[in-house]
Amino acid sequence: MSPPKFTLEAVEWDAWLAPVTTETATDKQRAALEASPQANSPYFRTLAHDVDSLAERSPLFHSVMYVPRGLKRAERELATVVVSIINGCVYCSSVHARRFVELTKQPEVIRALYDEGLDTPLPPRLRAIVDYAAKLTREPAAMTIADLKPLRDVGMDDLEILDLTNAAAMFANANRLMQTLGEPIPPEVQA
Amino acid sequence: MAPADVSGDLLNAIIGAAPGSALAALREQRPEILRHSQGSYDVLLTPADPGGLTLAERALVARRVAELSGHAALTAHYQTLVATRGQPPAGARRDAILAHAERLATAPGTATKAHLAALDAVGLSARDIVALAQLVAFVAYQVRAAVGLSLLAREKVA
Repeated sequence: MSPPKFTLEAVEWDAWLAPVTTETATDKQRAALEASPQANSPYFRTLAHDVDSLAERSPLFHSVMYVPRGLKRAERELATVVVSIINGCVYCSSVHARRFVELTKQPEVIRALYDEGLDTPLPPRLRAIVDYAAKLTREPAAMTIADLKPLRDVGMDDLEILDLTNAAAMFANANRLMQTLGEPIPPEVQA
Repeated sequence: MAPADVSGDLLNAIIGAAPGSALAALREQRPEILRHSQGSYDVLLTPADPGGLTLAERALVARRVAELSGHAALTAHYQTLVATRGQPPAGARRDAILAHAERLATAPGTATKAHLAALDAVGLSARDIVALAQLVAFVAYQVRAAVGLSLLAREKVA
């Protein structure tokens, strides 16, 4: 297996199971797809095979990433990119790296993470976010309250830490679905 | 100490967040996350219609993923569910389901289309395969959400 090629370009995704189609969808599947971020994507049409879990997951995902107050949206996106890099999810990292760049105009942060790895020098607040998301991804059982200290040192309150936790946890979930029900089509081979 | 049942919310029970506690109040600031974390647990572990992935298989998969993640309280919770529902019959089907769950939990980047064909070969439908992936992915989420919440709880009493 070749190492994942992370990118800031748009990546497509190819489903391994035949996705639910508009013609074959039940009313319940249609409703769940309409409540998902992209009703017509092969990814959500694959998840629609198990409609009740999709119907719960879409509002969960939406709230984790977009609910107002607490951790800034860009910082939630950064956490999801870190998790996606560790898990090797090229598709997820592309989507959320581009959202981070749209919000911050700082493509150099993503390029440094992609090219130099997660230990690349970063401003203290971003460093603290990257380290927390990385450890929660790699060794959740090894975490201690000492892992909160760098977040407290850069001024994070309880709600921000809760949001950061949920964003990183949500991508333990999202990566596993994206990586095991289909595969990314890298930009260079897209038609 | 057995975790108290806290108004039916599993994560609150796992982290020991009593009603009215600072941590329960913090979680209530994110009501949709509370509701749909519990809702995901309900439809994945105890669906009204489990399709071709049985309730016993679902409990066994969840326990294995919690165990591989090193989360003692969630492993114990799912072990209770396994004990209640009974072990699925030993054999190729159970082995294939567990092998896939372990791959998704520990090395999702190594999954291929051939692994889905192996599940098809032991009788899993497209819906069952998606439900299995959702279940493993959910427990991976749940473990990490629980860990972060427990850190906040322990920090308060430290």
